[in-house]
Amino acid sequence: MSELPPITYTLEYPYTRTTGPVVGAFLTALRDGRILGSRCGDRVICPPLEFDPDTAEPVAQDLVEVGPGGTVKSWTWIAEPTRKHPFQQPFAFALIVLDGADTALSHAVKARGIDAMSTGMRVRAQWREERASAVTDVYFVPEADAVDTYVPPGEGEVELTEHLISLDFKEAIHPFRERFARGLIAGKFIGQKSPVSGKVYIPSKGYDPLARVAMTEADDVELPPVGIVAGYTVITPVQYYGQKETEPYIRASILLDGADQPLGQQDIKNIPHDEFRSGMRLRAVFRPESERKIVEMDNRWGSTGGVIDHWEPTGEPDAPPEKYLEHLF
Amino acid sequence: MAERSAVIGIGQTKYARRRGDLSIDGLVREAALRALEDAQLTFKDIDAIVIGKAPDALEGVMMPELSLADALGAVGKPIHRVHTAGSVGASTAISAATMVESGIFDTVLTVGYEKQSDGNATWALGGGRSGSQGAGGSFAPWIRKYIEKSAAPEHIGWKVAVKDRQNALKNPYAHLHLKDISIEKVKESPVLWDPLHFLESCPSSDGAAAMVLTNEKGVARAPQPPAWVVAHAKRTEFTQFPGRDTVKPAAGVECAKALYKKAGITNPIRQIDCAEIYVPFSWYEPMWLEGHLITEEGSGWKLTESGATEIGGDFPVNMSGGVLSSNPIGASGMIRCLEAANQVRGTAGDYQVDGARVALGHAYGGAANYFAMWIVSSEKEPKFS
Repeated sequence: MSELPPITYTLEYPYTRTTGPVVGAFLTALRDGRILGSRCGDRVICPPLEFDPDTAEPVAQDLVEVGPGGTVKSWTWIAEPTRKHPFQQPFAFALIVLDGADTALSHAVKARGIDAMSTGMRVRAQWREERASAVTDVYFVPEADAVDTYVPPGEGEVELTEHLISLDFKEAIHPFRERFARGLIAGKFIGQKSPVSGKVYIPSKGYDPLARVAMTEADDVELPPVGIVAGYTVITPVQYYGQKETEPYIRASILLDGADQPLGQQDIKNIPHDEFRSGMRLRAVFRPESERKIVEMDNRWGSTGGVIDHWEPTGEPDAPPEKYLEHLF
Repeated sequence: MAERSAVIGIGQTKYARRRGDLSIDGLVREAALRALEDAQLTFKDIDAIVIGKAPDALEGVMMPELSLADALGAVGKPIHRVHTAGSVGASTAISAATMVESGIFDTVLTVGYEKQSDGNATWALGGGRSGSQGAGGSFAPWIRKYIEKSAAPEHIGWKVAVKDRQNALKNPYAHLHLKDISIEKVKESPVLWDPLHFLESCPSSDGAAAMVLTNEKGVARAPQPPAWVVAHAKRTEFTQFPGRDTVKPAAGVECAKALYKKAGITNPIRQIDCAEIYVPFSWYEPMWLEGHLITEEGSGWKLTESGATEIGGDFPVNMSGGVLSSNPIGASGMIRCLEAANQVRGTAGDYQVDGARVALGHAYGGAANYFAMWIVSSEKEPKFS
């Protein structure tokens, strides 16, 4: 049996940040071609902080201009940039003390190669043509490569910035999750029965949380595709970044016959919302075998959406609450 | 415990949909400075700082306890951060109390915050995926289960929603000031997570709350009356296991029992004068009245219906307007603890309960599997009869 490929997932969100007065002034000036630092006692700190780290007092509101030239205090070479790095070619990250500042700014240096970098070297800020009121509006180059250009000022003060944070995850699926996933692809529900408590879990976490014992493949059990609605809600979708739902939808917990733990967050689809109720008996309708795929599953989330097409009423009488209420969790 | 701790300073920001004038640093700073001012202290008088907030995914700022050290005057001092989901604000306050009780620290500053406008809680709670059920979607089935089991009439939820918003009109810091709130308005607002209506749900807020806690020596020097921390308790359980009571979780029951025992409380509804309880969705008022042994099982909603939980009633709940009126998540639990302290200090302004001597501050979090509570009193060792 071939192994299931590792799960890959991109977690991504465009955060909006309120800059506050000091960082806002710094980013406004940066957009307009100037770098500012804050005065703290007899030091100039760049990038500026809102509060003096020594005294906890607010820094002076009038920021002072520093740079655009500076000296590299230390550096590291990024030979293989990722998609989120400021350059897609090899470059350096350096600690740069800008002229007029007493502390170092951590920033990117676009150098021709690792041999062009050295501690103590002089660098100079260059402004990007497209600016977004972000610290990445500038980058640095060795002084000899610098070309000074006119930076036209933008409009208004920067008070809010947007940051698209994006993390790529890749993880191997746990063996017990893999058997659950393979079961779904084959149109079966595979759970695990605790050898100690006798409780049946689906999807299993690989251990019995009541008896606190590990379970193995020998504890796998197949459950029928039929169960009871243990609980549900009809959700009006909040519209957020990445939300695909637009209309109200049901999310139900379904207790398969023989299970002690419901399958959570099941998408019901074809049943009218006003006919849906706790205790209802439902049967899973799988997608055609060739269309089944494991989507949005990892070791914590267990979406069955790529495998189960919908749930349909069996037509049997509703189950009484004592059959399911204690299994609603 | 080696020392008895007390709250001697309280600070809050104005809560709002977006505090566009302040960075996160500025937000925590505003609350911290107000708490210090209330205690007539400065950062120099603080021995340690403990901060709390909900998951980092809410703002996308990792390890904020490091970047906020400057704003909180923490350089050269111990700072640590607590995280227990929605209950974090109360867990953080309890951590600060414990640090004072240990005898190692004389005076501790504690701050809880959230800047919800930086991100989206429903996105974050859904692991960044489409179709997140959010907090409301998680709790709605359990609320329905409570309604079915207790046979509570549906207007109970609407009544709590109106009461807490009317209380908020007396609190200048509250986010929501819904002057024309009514049962009709709640009932007619859209159903977001059946059976919960929009107006039965908490808002999304920016804000921070802070307290200064100190020992008996510190209390002797304090300019304002203290709120003595008489007892505190935290409990946790698994989020999922067969037989779990999601309406009345065992961890909540055990937490309340431990709390009352430590305080010497034998009859909570009679011996506690008022309570700030974490109610992000209206039905959690009757659910926690039962879940924390304040009423018998099945009769929490009857106490709500009787009007006893209003200011002026026998057991006022959420006099400040509660989570239903302001919800900077990481601060929300701390606000409950802080408002309980306000009541026993007599500093609750227009929402003061006359003669409040003993108050409960409470929060829960996660899948209702984290609980944190404290009892504060105007008396160092209150006697109960």
